[in-house]
Amino acid sequence: MIDTHLLISGVIFGLSMGSIFFLMTIGLSLCFGLMRIISLDQLLYYSVGAYITYSVSLAIGDIWLGVLAGVIVGGITALVVERVVFRRIYERDLPFTMITSFGVLIGGVGVIKFFWGLVPRPVPVPIAAQVDILGTEIPAYRLVVVVIAALVYVGIWLFLNRTIIGKAIRAGIEDVEHVEGLGINVYRLFTITFVLAGGLSGLAGGLHAPLIMVDPQMGLEVLAFAFMVVIIGGLGSIKGTLVSSILVGQVISIGSLIYAPLAQMAPFAIMLLILLIRPTGLFGSPLLKR
Amino acid sequence: MNVLRWWWGLLLAFALLALLRIFLPLPFANEIIIFSIYTMGCNFLLGRVGYISFGQPAYLAVGAYATAFYLYYFGTNAYIGILIGVVAGIGVSFAIGLFFVRLRGDYFALVNLALAVIIYYLMQKVLADITHGDNGLWFLTNLASTPVLDISRPDQFFIFAFLVAFVIWAFYKYIDDSIFGACCLATKINEDKLRFLGYSSFKIRLFAFVIANTTTALAGAMYAVYLGFVSPEITSPSRAADPVVVTILGGLGTLYGPIVGSIAFTGMKDLVSKVIGNWELIVGFLLVFVMLAGEKGIWGTVEPLLKKMFSRASVPAGVGDGGVKSR
Repeated sequence: MIDTHLLISGVIFGLSMGSIFFLMTIGLSLCFGLMRIISLDQLLYYSVGAYITYSVSLAIGDIWLGVLAGVIVGGITALVVERVVFRRIYERDLPFTMITSFGVLIGGVGVIKFFWGLVPRPVPVPIAAQVDILGTEIPAYRLVVVVIAALVYVGIWLFLNRTIIGKAIRAGIEDVEHVEGLGINVYRLFTITFVLAGGLSGLAGGLHAPLIMVDPQMGLEVLAFAFMVVIIGGLGSIKGTLVSSILVGQVISIGSLIYAPLAQMAPFAIMLLILLIRPTGLFGSPLLKR
Repeated sequence: MNVLRWWWGLLLAFALLALLRIFLPLPFANEIIIFSIYTMGCNFLLGRVGYISFGQPAYLAVGAYATAFYLYYFGTNAYIGILIGVVAGIGVSFAIGLFFVRLRGDYFALVNLALAVIIYYLMQKVLADITHGDNGLWFLTNLASTPVLDISRPDQFFIFAFLVAFVIWAFYKYIDDSIFGACCLATKINEDKLRFLGYSSFKIRLFAFVIANTTTALAGAMYAVYLGFVSPEITSPSRAADPVVVTILGGLGTLYGPIVGSIAFTGMKDLVSKVIGNWELIVGFLLVFVMLAGEKGIWGTVEPLLKKMFSRASVPAGVGDGGVKSR
């Protein structure tokens, strides 16, 4: 049986991983829910967030400021992309938006290579302290990541349920034409959602940066996991994204404890299993067709 | 006369390709041919069945690695290697298709890309004992020369690849004209009505999926034989967009799209990589540009012009079949 210490650190590792997946995929999920686009370029804002965190923390020395800058730049990049590209294609069908956003992602990776080069960059961990949980030493930073993700979830929940814009977004997820009929400018809602999603992806990148090496392909490396999270949870569902990101995080982390190559394969197997039972994912609605 | 009419567009395209062989360096011509076979599968899936697949590198890798395993560990005959690649392609795409074709278009696209990444990991890390990880399998020296057409030599490989591409082209043209092709198109446009007519959309999709991905696996097998080595790089996610780019660049769902797109894409790749080493930048923005410009692609833009030209030229002469070429 697995050692208890290993198991505890594995669970925490999985939780922090799941938190980052959650921050990254919430944007994909929201964009699908409201605008019916598959916005693969969220992974670009994730890389941008990580690189900005690296550059700012190198220049100023404070990593939290770097993460903040990553969020802001991620949001601004999303705003620019939304204005230049997505504005023109909201009306098109899904595969079309997916191809276009994949083009943005690949092109953006090229831009990152142009600015920062191919060499992987390290980002120091902002909190070096260790926390003692049931006799196991856990890096405090991972717990901080989990807490931040939890705060973001609460924040998004409050935003969607307590503010008028959030309510309009939720109504738009149900039926965008009716919202438009009420006299609400849905294109502004789209922009807000897209920038929010980009900022959260930037946050995911910034928080992930100290845990891994920052390199140009990082967005493409997590692509598969982001997809699995979204597919397992069901496109367009925020609750589903939360559940499935925790699930995938745990599967990766516990799986790699049992047998190392399992880390990549096990989530895929689970995804296939869930798709067999429910072709629209755990919380995805079969009616989401337009 | 009817037969000639059916064939002449195809013959013209291939005459052009054969002509290119004279002007272009051999590696370039080989690259174009294999790439257009690769793209034909994707083109069929995207243009006829309406499934967008970013997972084509996965099936490419299945073909390439099946061939590579045979040539590295067991045999020396390249023909048998390619045959094994194709058989592996049929097997894998049938097994995967059973799961995948039940999905809605958006989920299908996501699952396919996930599959490509998983196969990448599988080849790079999990099966590193057999695949030698990132170093890849080198078996160029294992290739024995084969009778009739010695495909271990690049110049004769070109002839072989040319013939294979021709057969596949004819095959796709045949499918296009058959009831099955019409059914594929129907699943794309209106699945409910197809079901109403008594066809099983699941079977049609599965069959189309297997055909398209076997073509891709064949391209993978040919890459393996041509290059004499296979590495996980072949399924790298950053190359996942290539076939889709070429399909859309050439013109979605047109028969001549893949070859036009391949020539344009490979040529551009060659030219651009000489100037700047940043290939992703170009592919990405090219893709966005083509999509925003109206996704008709090169052939899709040229075709109506050609049609117009031919019909204007031929109607006074009384022939009147100028439009046949463009399908």
